[in-house]
Amino acid sequence: MELTAAQVREAARVLDLDIPEADIENVRLRLTTMLASMAEIERTLGSKMDETEPVPPVYPREEF
Amino acid sequence: MSMSRMDDFVFLSAARQGALIRQRKLSPVDLVRACIARIERYDPVLRAYITLCAESAMAEARRAEQDVMAGNYRGPLHGIPFGVKDQLCTRGIRTTLGSKIKADYVPDTDATVITRLKTAGAILIGKENLHEFGKGGTNVFPFGQPRNPWNPDRTPSSSSSGSGIAPAAGFSSGSLGEDTGGSIRGPAAANGIVGLRPTFGRVSRCGGVMYAWTGDTIGPLTRTVEDNALFLKVIAGHDAEDPLSSKRPVPDYPAALGTDLKGLRLAVVKEMAWPQGVHPEVRQAFEQALDVLRNLGAELGEVSLPWAKHAIPLSMLTSDADVASMYLPLLRTRWHDFDVGTRTRMAAAALVPAAVYSRAMRARAVVRRQILDALNRYDALLSPTNLKPPALIDDAREKVESKADIEQRLILRRISTHPFGVANTPTLALPMGFTGDDLPLSLQIAGRPFAEETIYRIGHAFEKATPWHARHPDLECTLTGFLGRPATVAA
Repeated sequence: MELTAAQVREAARVLDLDIPEADIENVRLRLTTMLASMAEIERTLGSKMDETEPVPPVYPREEF
Repeated sequence: MSMSRMDDFVFLSAARQGALIRQRKLSPVDLVRACIARIERYDPVLRAYITLCAESAMAEARRAEQDVMAGNYRGPLHGIPFGVKDQLCTRGIRTTLGSKIKADYVPDTDATVITRLKTAGAILIGKENLHEFGKGGTNVFPFGQPRNPWNPDRTPSSSSSGSGIAPAAGFSSGSLGEDTGGSIRGPAAANGIVGLRPTFGRVSRCGGVMYAWTGDTIGPLTRTVEDNALFLKVIAGHDAEDPLSSKRPVPDYPAALGTDLKGLRLAVVKEMAWPQGVHPEVRQAFEQALDVLRNLGAELGEVSLPWAKHAIPLSMLTSDADVASMYLPLLRTRWHDFDVGTRTRMAAAALVPAAVYSRAMRARAVVRRQILDALNRYDALLSPTNLKPPALIDDAREKVESKADIEQRLILRRISTHPFGVANTPTLALPMGFTGDDLPLSLQIAGRPFAEETIYRIGHAFEKATPWHARHPDLECTLTGFLGRPATVAA
């Protein structure tokens, strides 16, 4: 999904963040890329993600 | 004392310097004075340091000398000068995080790792330059453009830039950096030294500004693997002030170093070692490194980790969002005081929907599982640390003007390092050769959680069988044309 500058501007306003016009395109490109990557990850790993809890690996205590 | 005479001992390993100090053949005062002299001559170009602690370092060096002479030798780091990424708090010394927003922040406590090094007798020589707030992507450095000592037109990599420059340039005997997705390993690779991202929980994060709380780790950057093991032994271990630090005992890392690899099974990660775009000199050096490891007795195989490439966007969707949540108030009020790379990266991460964040955390667990499954079959995984030699500074900037920029500048360059950050496994970067024009190349070795001993063993054996760690930049030559120029804050 290709975000528009207007969508980025509106989303930022929800956070009370006013992004200057000069930086909107940069933020738009970054966010669009991240969300597009996530869409691809969902296509590839989605079913496995459904079976996995989102536990951060901050207590590494695997079998090793 | 002449620079060439100083070079005789500033480029010795910390282990060798420590042995000479113990034998009273090298004075900590002479060592620290020599480092400071080199910093004063060369750092106006290289910009490894934001704050130099010359006065306190000399006082500590005199105290160390007196202690050693009185027979109160504290151990192998007694009298050894070190620097820290300016992301780690230091009592009474400003801690800028590489940002003009924090230019006047002076903490009232030391980070735990600094307390531990000081207790071991090591001497803090300065606070090291970094990408703003420890995030890669800074375009204009408020405390000076860090430069690569092997070629000052080239990047020293990010984000622990000064922490990589300093040991390589003979400004210190070791540094502490911080690594989320490659911020220790990248600078170690670019500057031709050794850098360890330890297992998450192995080293206390207390006193570090560690807002990427599921991935930030503190680790050493040194000129040899043995030195790295010496530093880790001192800084590792449980800390009641860091609830996520592990209570596992700390092994005697230096004692575990060996020179053969018999019985070890190592695997090349196909997607990280041979992707499209790998530089031919990196490929050649990596192939030669594999031969060395094979000759040392290791059994070599290959694994495929097709999901590892997802680690880069997943890290941005999760760790960056964690960091952005902490800087949102400052983004609202001081937007223009952030570097453009930092503020746009943080703003994009702040806008990641919570549902996407949660799904990305699930995906991280899946990607991590694939990496751990490979580590169940092999003792360690191998790849080049970077697919290309250090880039020209301007080419390394994370300008984002098109999708192609994002692909090239934000994603591809991180393809080898980020997966092990997401997996939170210990990972070592060490020299594996040089390009034809003397730019360092680096081998990456990733191990099982808490298996730092194993990757040190592999790295040490490789280092002993190769000459690369013994090469140091001759700054009088590499900085020709830069020395004597007026210093600039920006590039």
